[in-house]
Amino acid sequence: MFGNICLIFLQMVVILGVSPFVVGLIRKVKAWLQCRKGPSVFQPYADLRKIFCKEAVIPSTTSWIFTITPYILFGSTLAAGLLVPAFFADMPLGFAGNIIALVYLLALGTFFLILAGLDAGSAFGGMGSSREALVASVTEPAMILSIFAIGLTAGSTNLNTIVHRTALFQGVTTDPAPHLLALGALFIVALAETGRVPVDNPATHLELTMIHEAMILDYSGRYLALVEWAASMKLLVFLSLLVNIFAPWGIAVEATAGAMTLGLVAYLVKVSALAVVIGILECTVAKLRLFRLSELLGAAFILALLAVIFFYMFRG
Amino acid sequence: METLFKKFMAQFEGRVLNVRHCHGIPVANVAKEDLSMMARYIHQDKAMHGTLSLLWAVDHRPCEDRYELLYLFTLRGYQEWMVLTIDLGGEERVFPSITPVIHAAQWYEREIRDMFGLIAQGHPDLRRLVRHEHWPKGTHPLRKTYAWNSVLTREQGEYSFNRIEGEGVFEVAVGPIHAGVIEPGHFRFSVAGEPVMQLEVRHFWKHRGVEKLFEQKLLTAGVPLAERISGDTTVGHALAYCEAVETLLGLEVPLRAKYLRCVFLELERLHNHLGDVGAICNDVAFTLAHAHCGRMKERIMQLNDQLTGSRFLRGIIDVGGMQVDLAPQQFSQLIGELDTIQPDFTELEKILAVNASLKDRLETTGLLKVRTAWDHAALGYVARASGMDRDLRFDRPFAAYNLLPVKVPRYQEGDVRARMQVRIDEIHESMRLIRQIQSDIRPGPIRVEPTTMPQPGDWALSGVEGWRGEILYFVMAGEDGRIHRCKIRDPSFVNWPIIQQAVMGNIIPDFPLINKSFNLSYAGNDL
Repeated sequence: MFGNICLIFLQMVVILGVSPFVVGLIRKVKAWLQCRKGPSVFQPYADLRKIFCKEAVIPSTTSWIFTITPYILFGSTLAAGLLVPAFFADMPLGFAGNIIALVYLLALGTFFLILAGLDAGSAFGGMGSSREALVASVTEPAMILSIFAIGLTAGSTNLNTIVHRTALFQGVTTDPAPHLLALGALFIVALAETGRVPVDNPATHLELTMIHEAMILDYSGRYLALVEWAASMKLLVFLSLLVNIFAPWGIAVEATAGAMTLGLVAYLVKVSALAVVIGILECTVAKLRLFRLSELLGAAFILALLAVIFFYMFRG
Repeated sequence: METLFKKFMAQFEGRVLNVRHCHGIPVANVAKEDLSMMARYIHQDKAMHGTLSLLWAVDHRPCEDRYELLYLFTLRGYQEWMVLTIDLGGEERVFPSITPVIHAAQWYEREIRDMFGLIAQGHPDLRRLVRHEHWPKGTHPLRKTYAWNSVLTREQGEYSFNRIEGEGVFEVAVGPIHAGVIEPGHFRFSVAGEPVMQLEVRHFWKHRGVEKLFEQKLLTAGVPLAERISGDTTVGHALAYCEAVETLLGLEVPLRAKYLRCVFLELERLHNHLGDVGAICNDVAFTLAHAHCGRMKERIMQLNDQLTGSRFLRGIIDVGGMQVDLAPQQFSQLIGELDTIQPDFTELEKILAVNASLKDRLETTGLLKVRTAWDHAALGYVARASGMDRDLRFDRPFAAYNLLPVKVPRYQEGDVRARMQVRIDEIHESMRLIRQIQSDIRPGPIRVEPTTMPQPGDWALSGVEGWRGEILYFVMAGEDGRIHRCKIRDPSFVNWPIIQQAVMGNIIPDFPLINKSFNLSYAGNDL
């Protein structure tokens, strides 16, 4: 019991601690590719500290939803992070929810953020909320279907089981096609859900083009810090999902200090590698037109659908 | 030359009150009642095919108790200019509006109403333009009776925007304070969902009374003020001002100075166009191009600094010639820099050309139809991307451009990509021009001193193709070598209303991109 609590605590520290680093790393990669030096990869930590210390201004037009949203967003994203195996394959919280619970924990945060964007009554917040709702609604089918495809090959929707089976090549070697197709779908979903190029541009100052940033324009101080931190955690949750479902090797399967250390190092290396891939991708494509997003996410949906079809074809 | 003006005179034999030539530009004084009819003829006749290039007023007091309105038309082929004038004597405050006939007159007539209190009768939209609602009633600063240092009291008032009402139609107000380091301007969108149904631009937050300030100055002392009208167009404005004043003073600028003026005008074009190509890409999150263009722009600006001591090329042009000369080794430094930047830029250009995601964003976005551009008398790269091949460097050569044939790029598409492509072509053309100047230029004097004083009431018009488009200056001499009236027309004043048309049917997140592809000056517009 005590060991489990320690594990949960450790995972929490890793999720909270590593997430700003991933954001910093993507920025650094982009800077390198642009022949810039760029800020240090640890800059997001300094930014968070700075924003936490600032006074929070709350628009007088807002209701309780505005102030409660950052806490709900932060809490739900952190809870989602605890459901995903990071460096240890048997998450003690695994009993509490499977991959579907994870999806809707993240959706809960998005839902409240959409409400908060509308709450302040500014034009930009409303635009951001309406666009986020659009993105969320076209992302969800692709996300659920790709998860089903993975669940089918692994024979379970429990993340621990999926990771275990994949690590031991159960299911994967017999039919890798559904797995790879689902990987493609989930990668696109991850980009859309975390507001990266080509779906959204996290670096822009142009309010009219924003999606995620437009909803949080009215936040400041500790509220903003929580929202920003939650956004980087969400990114890390998706990266963890991708690396551990599709490449779980190196993850600790026994609760020994040596295995755990190795698992942690492997985890950091894998997540960093994926962050570098995202950084490179962001430098090579332009942001899509808003109404082309449905085409991109439609492609993700088709990939996931093919994954499910292939699963039954290979089995039958 | 002047064949079209002769045709105009033949058409209106006997109705033109008076014809004269002012420093080579034919000026026809006509009766108020005939104006609309003549303007219609110039604009609509197939052979004349004239566009309104400038419309401005002059208060002739204290010499004579009359206002004069002047209409500058650019005729077919953009090479020939002609001016129509009408007089408003005594207590007359109303003149006929030509906006119903020529759309391009709309902002000019509203501007004249604000600055002079002269009312364009028949204008469809007589809301205030420059005078924001907090200006007291009856404030018309360009009247000679209005002291330049008057302090305005603050009044209450509200501007009424064009409204679209209906279910699901929302207004989105943007500015005048923006998130980035951008000048102030207000944009009012009416949207149904994401598509824009209407955009109204509300500007003139930066009105500084520049034209009034000129009236306090000596003809020979106006350059520093002209350089500061729009910070990114220092050379363009300084050159246009000097050209007008030199015509008035009868100065023949030495050839070497003319060549040097061309060099710096092209350098200004280079650093602005390089910056713009990057900025357009940045607005679609293609940051790679932005970073590299930013680097190349910075190299040109540092070069500017090394050559002249000013990154923005300030203080180098003066009435009568140049303040700075370029030594042969400085010329080779300049060419050396261009030799490193050009292959670099060509490589980037190739990346831009093959990137499908970029192409998808830029093509068909912010479409400006050839006809709409013509109706608004569009200028600069905006015009050249929409089928109008107008470029003053070619059409009415100034400085040394009569010795430097300019290749003018022209595209028909009228979208963001075409406006970017015009800039890309012009970057290469500017580099070619600078190289040609280096081989053509000969040693010699770089300035002459003015010896004569112009007659009060004498005026000159000059046009310079700045990087953004056609800059016009009208300078009228007053007593003792002072300026009686200086009318400035930055291309932004013409192109701002066009943006309202170019965004129609686009979605609101594409507006920043369209706006960037126009990249207009707020300061140059607001004056």
